Amino acid sequence: MDIKSTVKNYILREFLPGEDAENLEDETPLIASGILDSLATMQLVSFLEGEFGVAIAPHETDPEYIGTINAIEQLIQSKSSS
Amino acid sequence: MQISILSRYFGNTSSDKADTVNIAKFFIILGQLVLLLLAVRQFQIESQAFLTVFLLAIGGFCVHYFLPYRWRIHWFLILSLASLPLVLGWYNALSLIAIGLLLLLICHLPIQFSYRVLLICMAGIGLALARAGEIGGNLNSAIWPVLGSMFMYRLIVYLYDLKHDRVPEGMTHRMAYFFMLPNVCFPLFPVIDSNNFRRLYYSEERHVIYQTGVVWITRGLVHLLLYRYVYYYLTVAPSEVVHAGDLMQFLIANFLLYLRVSGLFHLVIGILHLFGFALPETHKLYYLSSSFTDFWRRINIYWKDFMMKVFYYPIYFKLKRHGEIKAIVVSTLLVFMLTWLLHSYQWYWLRGTFPIEWQDGAFWGILAVLVVINSVWEIRSGRQRTLSKVHWLSRQSLIKSVKIVLVFSAICSLWSLWTCESMEEWLAMWSALGRTPWSISLVAAILTGLAIGVLLISAINTSMTNTRQEQVTGKAGQGPFAAPRLLSNCLLVALLASLGLPQIYTNFDAQTANFMLSLRSEKLSRTDTAKLEKGYYEDLVRVDRFNSQLWEVYAKKPSNWLSVTGSGLKEFTDDFLQHRLRSSSKSITEHGAISTNQWGMRDREYTREHPPGVYRIALLGASSVMGWGVEDSETFDAILENALNEHARREGLPAVEILNFAVAGYYPLQQRMVLENAFAFEPDAIFYIATGREYHRAALYLQEVISKKVDNPYPFLTALANRAGINADMPKTEILQRLQPHKDELLTWLYQEIASRCRERGVQPVWIFLPQVNPGHWVKTVAKTEAEAATAGFDIINLLDVYADYPMSEVQLTEWDFHPNALGHHLVADRIFDTLVKDPSRYLGATLTRAQLE
Repeated sequence: MDIKSTVKNYILREFLPGEDAENLEDETPLIASGILDSLATMQLVSFLEGEFGVAIAPHETDPEYIGTINAIEQLIQSKSSS
Repeated sequence: MQISILSRYFGNTSSDKADTVNIAKFFIILGQLVLLLLAVRQFQIESQAFLTVFLLAIGGFCVHYFLPYRWRIHWFLILSLASLPLVLGWYNALSLIAIGLLLLLICHLPIQFSYRVLLICMAGIGLALARAGEIGGNLNSAIWPVLGSMFMYRLIVYLYDLKHDRVPEGMTHRMAYFFMLPNVCFPLFPVIDSNNFRRLYYSEERHVIYQTGVVWITRGLVHLLLYRYVYYYLTVAPSEVVHAGDLMQFLIANFLLYLRVSGLFHLVIGILHLFGFALPETHKLYYLSSSFTDFWRRINIYWKDFMMKVFYYPIYFKLKRHGEIKAIVVSTLLVFMLTWLLHSYQWYWLRGTFPIEWQDGAFWGILAVLVVINSVWEIRSGRQRTLSKVHWLSRQSLIKSVKIVLVFSAICSLWSLWTCESMEEWLAMWSALGRTPWSISLVAAILTGLAIGVLLISAINTSMTNTRQEQVTGKAGQGPFAAPRLLSNCLLVALLASLGLPQIYTNFDAQTANFMLSLRSEKLSRTDTAKLEKGYYEDLVRVDRFNSQLWEVYAKKPSNWLSVTGSGLKEFTDDFLQHRLRSSSKSITEHGAISTNQWGMRDREYTREHPPGVYRIALLGASSVMGWGVEDSETFDAILENALNEHARREGLPAVEILNFAVAGYYPLQQRMVLENAFAFEPDAIFYIATGREYHRAALYLQEVISKKVDNPYPFLTALANRAGINADMPKTEILQRLQPHKDELLTWLYQEIASRCRERGVQPVWIFLPQVNPGHWVKTVAKTEAEAATAGFDIINLLDVYADYPMSEVQLTEWDFHPNALGHHLVADRIFDTLVKDPSRYLGATLTRAQLE
């Protein structure tokens, strides 16, 4: 499964149970829409670190890194490639 | 729309998108801004400085709109810098810019990052010393609140972002970040993130950003006007809380005062939108928080984001290997402790003191514990989220509404800690629940009210949440330019502008017109005026820093305002008076010398014995009569005495002596004892000078002597306290609550005592009403007080309109001090003089008769 699908499934399962998967798009703003608050951010970070074997720094909890599924994919890809 | 949503998160500004000119949209935006400017002017929103800066911002926006994208940030910096001398003057503005540039330069020195941080810390210590007045004596105190609000937090977050290479690019953008318009008018300014300031600059379609700014400025004005309504009409003092209804009003009104902060933040963020900064929405529906974590997230997102970014996440990431829950608990508690300390740090830059107070500790401590419990609960049980529309009568929505009511109630209760001066006062306030005559019908009415409230909240919350969700997820069509949204905002703006016009609101009935008039100006509420007065007497340091207009008044007040140099003004006594003026002393205050004679009067020397052929008057009063804030020769007592004697010389009449027995800080009840002291000087007349709020002030002093167990020589007062069921061990608030029903008889007793004692000794009692310079609710009690004095047997001189021909600012000592200045004292002396010489047989006894005068 690709990064986007993995992350999307995780978000749907953990934070949006029962939500129509079509409502969560790759560009849906995860923070402004209230899906990711500080607690959910930390849960997501733990998931990403465990799932993809990357280390995420505190400053990478900013919206430009984890604000959308696309952004998360970019973050993981940049970390994996480096 | 999807592109703009995307760009909000990535900041990939397209200059094409930012350069699109749409004249129709430009004029729609400009039209609303002009109406908003009119509303700001008519309602005197904030200060004259804000009106000037807002005008600058609107003018600047017109130029900004037509500039090419690359020039706009330079233009914004020019406007930001131009606002500084407009408000602070050239010297202060240049000092501020020089200090700011120095700090910015240090941040970018070509040395190791840790050394730069060290240098910034050293510079901060230097500035803190200058703030305390230890060094840098040439700096004007006016710059500190502005400098503080620009740099105290932004430097921290800027350094954090600098470390991760995310600060704005280019010197112009960086300078604009620190000096940004309209910071110069607002010491309380949102902590704007430097990364957001860079990333979100023109991150959406330009007209959408501008119109969003207009909507938020409009919302800010609405918040500020609602705040005024709550502040002027709904706030009550803890001592006035007698029943459960009062308690509810007290709790809700105090929390609603936060509308001021949310209103100001909306204005600030809205104005920044006019220059392309698509910053996050502030105070998003914060009164509709459904949990404590939700409240923390909503109430001030700028503060929350700052704390999360700089402290919470770094602490959490360091601790998470010890377990998620443990890391969350420790990080949360530390963040709240830091929040408490940083608010005191903020207070230091704004006021020059670093208060550590139990109220702040209790508030942040309790909120921290609630948020921790709530966080752990959410981690374990999950939190309901959805991207779909919710129906207002759904189970999910109704449960959420019940939670909103519970959280709102809890936060109101917590918030009230801030407004009470002691825990005893806070607890005494809650004792109102015990005094309420509970009945089944009352309980049923409350439950019905709650049920209706839940349904209403459900409808409002669902509608607003669904709308916001559509906006955020890009499903809201044309965003703020969608016809219904645009039309409603235009109508609201037009309504705000027109309601402030006298040509409109004077067409309503008198009550509505007066109500509108009251909303049109910024003044202290009845309860804050009382606090300010109390401040004179008790050197009250604590004021409500986050929800009160008093905060701003205090922010302007020099910390040494009450200090006097010299031999000291007062000395303590062991009797009912508790203190008096020192005899033969000279003290220097900000406004000149206060000298006392051998008898401890602020006056020239007199003999104790009544000289023959002289008409002798004894003045009884408090600070305004003593002449706080004016020179010895400028008190109305001195001016009046000179004028009467000059008149007497001209007319060949006997001389007049006016002995000033007034002491700053005296309350009405103390005048009962002063009267006996005055009789020792054999006066022909006693002039009792009354001020506003005589009833309340009489009760306040009785509470004080009871609480302090001061020796009370008046059996009536002891009997009254017994009848009210008061004892010295009760909290002050409860004593005042119990005295509320007895205020009238307290003042009746005092006036009758003074008048009858005067008659016994053949002394003429005259009651003079000397108004406060600032109008207020006290005006309502003047007629009743005057009638009380007349019934007791006083001759009456009412000076209620003595300052009416002058603007308040011309007769008031300072903005934070409502005592009359030298001009005010002249007006008072002139008016009393005119009254006395017009009817000397009435006011100056038999010594000066009309025949002699003629």
